[in-house]
Amino acid sequence: MTSNEAPGTDDSASKVGSLPFDVTKAHQARSYDYLLGGKDNFAADRAAVDEQIKIYPDLVFTMRANRAFLGRAVRYLVGEVGIRQFLDIGTGIPTAGNTHEVAQALAPETRVVYVDYDPIVLAHARALLDSSDSGATEYIDADLRDTGTILAQAANLLDFTKPVAVTLLSILHAITDADDPYSIVATLLDAVPSGSYLAISHAGPESFTAEAREKLMDSTRRTSLQQYTLRTREQVARFFDGTDLVEPGLVPVEEWRPDPGARAEGKSVYWCAVGKKR
Amino acid sequence: METVVPSGETPDAGPEESPAEATVLRMLLGAQLRRLREAAEISAEKAGYEIRASRSKISRMETGRVGLKLRDIEDLLTLYGVTDEKQRAKVITLASRSREPEWWTQYNDILPDWFETYLGLESAAVTIRNFETQFVPGLFQTEDYARAVTRLGHQTAPEPEVERRVRLRVARQDILSRPRPPRVWAIMDEAVLRRPVGGAAVMHTQLLRLAETAQQPGVRLQAIPFARGGHAAASGSFSILRFKERDLPDVVYMEQLTSAVYLDQRADVEHYLEIVNQLSGEALTPADTVRFIEQVIKET
Repeated sequence: MTSNEAPGTDDSASKVGSLPFDVTKAHQARSYDYLLGGKDNFAADRAAVDEQIKIYPDLVFTMRANRAFLGRAVRYLVGEVGIRQFLDIGTGIPTAGNTHEVAQALAPETRVVYVDYDPIVLAHARALLDSSDSGATEYIDADLRDTGTILAQAANLLDFTKPVAVTLLSILHAITDADDPYSIVATLLDAVPSGSYLAISHAGPESFTAEAREKLMDSTRRTSLQQYTLRTREQVARFFDGTDLVEPGLVPVEEWRPDPGARAEGKSVYWCAVGKKR
Repeated sequence: METVVPSGETPDAGPEESPAEATVLRMLLGAQLRRLREAAEISAEKAGYEIRASRSKISRMETGRVGLKLRDIEDLLTLYGVTDEKQRAKVITLASRSREPEWWTQYNDILPDWFETYLGLESAAVTIRNFETQFVPGLFQTEDYARAVTRLGHQTAPEPEVERRVRLRVARQDILSRPRPPRVWAIMDEAVLRRPVGGAAVMHTQLLRLAETAQQPGVRLQAIPFARGGHAAASGSFSILRFKERDLPDVVYMEQLTSAVYLDQRADVEHYLEIVNQLSGEALTPADTVRFIEQVIKET
């Protein structure tokens, strides 16, 4: 199942550029905030999420597991691989354990460029995501599909002759096939040198019954500004063309290098992997 | 509004613990009593009748605005069918702890009740967001600036009273130097930086302090230059206080001449969150704001 499940009929959602500040429809960033226990969300976000949790109770677990994956992946990239530059696209509303905090706690000189297109993220990020003394953090207000703008502005802070980790967590499923997410990821990978890394988490359809899937899609069509395209494990794997996946490969987010002693309290629907560019 | 997300603490990037202030304990107590009442499907009217109080008193109590006699709380628990001794004891303990005196009780003679409430909320908050159209936010005022503001509001007050008011204002700033200070995120109209409250010399020192404060960890200042045109807050100054506890809603606070308005209904709060987010998007970044303040200092 791919784009045939995603309606893509909402013109405003497929136009490249910043999202409108709309509190009558659920936004992904604010819904995510609600799922993580934050207070920067609105009635429409909560209503949409509550409806979706009824269809899929492990949604809360999935989002928390995804956030935890972010932390482990960044720690791995900074601590074990030695990456000092991040291009984090799909920042979301800042919460505990943002990429630059995790990274700069290990290596204060790490540079992080955040990218998002939601005005609520812009409001928070400009004020809250500032850098440690030696490192640096920038925020770019741009749509993932506008890779030209992203790469041009990111070059102000990042040195594209040195390895960069590109992180695309919980964002590519908001890109329909019509917008060719594979070429978006390829363009980003082309801009970084060999030895760079790509980290992705992405919602998959495998754990849903056909009925639950249809219900979820129907729910987001009615309630949400962004529409989602679930992609299978094989489809997610294709994003990593040109990279070698690090252990343990492409797995559910809670199974990617779990902390010792950690026990998953649910089953997520997110695939994830980290790949090293050849 | 009911949430189905498992309860836990707000993973705000702010401090992990705020002091167990009486005000916030009262709010927590109120939230618990409301949950128990709703679970027992008892109306606020009926609950009020049980303790010879009005419906609105129950509602003020459930939002933590007023305290309650321990005896009344016991009666309410019985009415709500809470018979388990352990569960009752928990609620009663919370109620007793919420009755301990606060540091500002020594200023009772000059403190109107509505401001006392604010002090409680302010010292319990983990995040204070603030939009100011006229004055430097209270938490960042120098003593001289605070004195000038106080005199504006209390022109006939005798000198000792003015001094006590100034000391109270300055004492509030202690929350910024406590072990886990709140995050203060203030947005100021350019007018705040230009209006020489207390005269040029006082304002000059105040601006220097502001530029310094702006670089403290946990403090975010954003200015909105005149050049940015009309901004989103036709409303005037307000503050939004956020608490660590998941159960506690954000509270919007607006000071008026002789009283204050508190909003904690979600629809109202969300309206202000929307505005403050827009303002934040329109305003200069914290780094540019420091440069902007330095520019204003040079020009004045």
